[in-house]
Amino acid sequence: MLGLSDMLKEGSKHFAGKDEAVLRNIDATKQLSEITRTSLGPNGMNKMIINHLEKLFVTNDAATIIKELDVIHPAAKMLVMSAQMQEQEMGDGTNYVVTLAGEFLQKAAKLLEMGLHTSEIITGYEKAGKKIDEIIESLTVYKCKDIRDKAEVAKCLKATIASKQYGYEDFLSEIIASACIQVLPKKSTNFNVDNIRVTKIPGGGVTDTSVVKGLVIPSDTDGTIKHAEKCKVAVFASGIDLGKTETSGKVLITNEDELLNFSKGEEDSIRETIEQIAKTGVKVIISGSTVSELAMHYLERQKIMLIKVQSKFQLRRVCKAVGATPLVKLGAPIPEELGYCDVVTVDEIGSTKCCIFRQNSEDSEISTIVIRGSTNNILDDIERAIDDGVNVFKGMCKDGRFLAGAGAFEIELSRQLQAFADSTPGLSQYAINHYAESFEIIPRTLSETSGFDAAKVISNLYASHTQGNTDFGLDIESGQPKSTVAMNIYDLFLSKQYAIHLATNTAATVLRVDQIIMSKPAGGPKPPKQGGQDMDD
Amino acid sequence: MLSMIKQAGSPSDAKRGQALLLNISAGKGLQSVLKTNLGPKGTLKMLVSGGGEIKLTKDGAVLLHDMQIQHPTAALIARTATAQDDITGDGTTSNVITIGEFLKQSERYLAENIHPRIISEGLELAKDRCLAFLETFKQKKNTLDRELLINIARTSLRTKLPRELADQLTEHVVDSLLLIRKDNEPIDLFMVEIMTMQHRTDGQSQLIKGLVLDHGSRHPDMPKKLSNCFILTCNVSLEYEKTEVNANFLYKDHQTRSKMIDGEHKLVAERCKQIIDLKNHVCDTPDKNFVVINQKGIDPICLDMFAKAGIIALRRAKRRNMERLTLACGGTAMNSLEDLSPDCLGHADSVYEHVLGEEKYTFVEGVNNPFSCTILIKGPTKHIIEQIKDALRDGLRAVKNTIEDQCVVPGGGAFQIAAYADLMKFKETVQGRVKLGVQAFADSILIIPKTLAENSGFDPMDTIIKLQEEYAKGHIVGLDIMSGEPMDPVQEGIWDQYSVLKQIYRSSPIIASQLLLVDEIIKAGKGMGRAPGNDAGPQE
Repeated sequence: MLGLSDMLKEGSKHFAGKDEAVLRNIDATKQLSEITRTSLGPNGMNKMIINHLEKLFVTNDAATIIKELDVIHPAAKMLVMSAQMQEQEMGDGTNYVVTLAGEFLQKAAKLLEMGLHTSEIITGYEKAGKKIDEIIESLTVYKCKDIRDKAEVAKCLKATIASKQYGYEDFLSEIIASACIQVLPKKSTNFNVDNIRVTKIPGGGVTDTSVVKGLVIPSDTDGTIKHAEKCKVAVFASGIDLGKTETSGKVLITNEDELLNFSKGEEDSIRETIEQIAKTGVKVIISGSTVSELAMHYLERQKIMLIKVQSKFQLRRVCKAVGATPLVKLGAPIPEELGYCDVVTVDEIGSTKCCIFRQNSEDSEISTIVIRGSTNNILDDIERAIDDGVNVFKGMCKDGRFLAGAGAFEIELSRQLQAFADSTPGLSQYAINHYAESFEIIPRTLSETSGFDAAKVISNLYASHTQGNTDFGLDIESGQPKSTVAMNIYDLFLSKQYAIHLATNTAATVLRVDQIIMSKPAGGPKPPKQGGQDMDD
Repeated sequence: MLSMIKQAGSPSDAKRGQALLLNISAGKGLQSVLKTNLGPKGTLKMLVSGGGEIKLTKDGAVLLHDMQIQHPTAALIARTATAQDDITGDGTTSNVITIGEFLKQSERYLAENIHPRIISEGLELAKDRCLAFLETFKQKKNTLDRELLINIARTSLRTKLPRELADQLTEHVVDSLLLIRKDNEPIDLFMVEIMTMQHRTDGQSQLIKGLVLDHGSRHPDMPKKLSNCFILTCNVSLEYEKTEVNANFLYKDHQTRSKMIDGEHKLVAERCKQIIDLKNHVCDTPDKNFVVINQKGIDPICLDMFAKAGIIALRRAKRRNMERLTLACGGTAMNSLEDLSPDCLGHADSVYEHVLGEEKYTFVEGVNNPFSCTILIKGPTKHIIEQIKDALRDGLRAVKNTIEDQCVVPGGGAFQIAAYADLMKFKETVQGRVKLGVQAFADSILIIPKTLAENSGFDPMDTIIKLQEEYAKGHIVGLDIMSGEPMDPVQEGIWDQYSVLKQIYRSSPIIASQLLLVDEIIKAGKGMGRAPGNDAGPQE
């Protein structure tokens, strides 16, 4: 009989059956989760990654690690994809997904060795996953009462930041909390992560990081006017220049007078336009495109500050920050289209000139965190931590419930699931039991990275949970169980629930595959990405 | 000898006799690959494309299509199966397995020196009988109620997706088809748009009685959500278009130039104003709103005008969406604005924009009498979305087939068991060695219930015998994949599609006999003998 590989194109690979496909897949996912696992938690190790563009990353953020690792193995790639989904949906908890899914699969490998069939494992895992949905709500230990209270918010963000930037967590969580609260709309579920901007300026130390209510653009103004206060702002999406026809035009000149008059006419018209704009009281103009020298000259004359913003998205943010409508045609704007800003000034932070739009009054839709740090790597890493923090805040806006961090939630979940397993008939009991045990990986990793004996820590934790202290987690300073409520270590409910869901699903999907058919890898340069978006909005 | 009259060096020529064995072996090989996919308990296959893209599938058609089969015999079988998919949309796996089994059963007789021609004749006779039996076995349904259609869709979807997911999609599939179905007109499946969103988990797909467009308005100040909307569907350019001829402006001074700039835009602005006028005309109370969906472009200045008038304007909508829009919302698509009147407007209860990361989607929902609708698939990863999408397509086809056939066949292997018994009776009436072919046919079709049993973890022989015993008592029996016991598919609501079965048992014996009658394989051309890949041109 012909095997499949005889029928396919040469170079195709084909794996089938438990040993070749399932166990190999599990092995691949194990490799991946081993990499990210050691980065979990406050004492997690950093990874140094050099990607295909030779850019250096030093980070313990799992989302970045797996993004830059060019994973090819299909099963491992599925893990990567679900982690990316977690990043997209929740912005945090990627490492949790990878570690947990990896552990689920490793336990599955053990079950396979015991002789269970994959379908039984999947049934068991899915049963356990459903059980979690039932009990997870009862494990909530904390609920954020007021998301406009800075101290309260900072307390909730602490654990997330600590896992990325241990040592700066108190400082950074306050900064993030104040930045988020500043831009929080009246209906808090409408909070948009994009309204918190981050500007990275090398120099100084991390503690010099600050929040600006408004926007900071790391570029200088174009003219000589560098400061304006309580000013009206006009935003032109088009360039500040004379209009052009779509059809090509030609100037027909028959004598020298016409030549002279022509440029004079142009000058006059642009002067008029700018004078009209100045009459509306505009002091600052932001242009989304080129500004002609001539226009520049007249703007200077009218003492109007000019800032060029090349990126369309940045322009939109400026509009948000000052509350202006972008104008598509050059001309005097009507009052409703104008924005207002308390202070627009050029400031030198480090050696970088920055244009700062600061609002002193209550309403600014945008706030900016200016990160300082000695090297670019530190800046990038802090930025990632802030991103995670802001995302947690966003999650809080939707659902203010928190679960215990520091492995306390996992131990409790594991305990309850094991009890559930004992009451489940059939072979899926084994699967549920192993599923439950998988959660131990979190406290185990935490204690390993902090230098404690994992077996001891976990048994201690179980002991205190059995005594009824269900919020006890690992104190990474002492290695002893300690109340997470006392330590203020909380993880966002939504994020964790989603992560467990994703990890379970991914594990089940990987287990469901019994054959892999791989075509020969396509050679040559990769085709350019299809980015058929039209970019002129 | 042939080798003398042919150029030397075609290494893969198969000698007489060997060709037959080679074909049979290829058929069996392909069968063994696809076998594990059959039925609700079949396993998944992971396909990795040349570019590293992952695809998870159970669908035979997808698998055969993406597997890049090179072996000629296997490719021939695969093509038949693909044809099966084109015609009926389902049953590819069954088709391949059945062909493989025909070849396998015939091999037994070939080993006893029976000429392939005799077997082939027997297959032919049995095929006619089998199809005739199908006509008597099918159950005519004059009224197709929703429940029956749901059963059909469920039977089809469960073989492609995990149970829970399948059950959830089943209703969407049936409801969407019932929506777009018009009396006395063939069903156009294109009127069910399948839209995907990489978002959340796979349990959240929904049926939208309206449309989802995969782009948003291109202006930051346009309303994001409107309710009680008039919808203008048009195909009118709202941006400046260059003339066909090579034109030039000549001007002397700046004033003329400004005038020309204005003039250039005037035409477009006027069209824009026409639309806004209409809006002001029809939206006499503030709770009425207006949406413009244009197939052509709208330039930034016009967008701005619309935004100021509180209109959502979408540009560059897909052509097929234009067709759907008028079906969904009513109204007519306008190709010019000259005869613009309130009659050409459609209506929707709400139009809103949904932003997902960097993708924007526009929902047009709550339409009065939808003849077009959208099934929105959500899934966390690309491969899951793809998997659902393929399955959904099959589900839609299944329901459509049933509506067109006006009849169904009990599933779960019931037809095969019954047909076997009938063929056995038929065999008695056949004279001569052709009998053997009939026997081969009868044995072969049992492969479907056998494989079902095998994939569900039961002993195939035991199960078949149990089923046959039960059938002998006069019941219609199928296999219960949960318990391995016989069950009544009619009661359980497991139905196969008539046209799928008809196609399988019509095409597979033909291909099998053709392959049996091949006695030599000759590869043409000189360069063909070389390793493929070197001369296959650029890879896809």
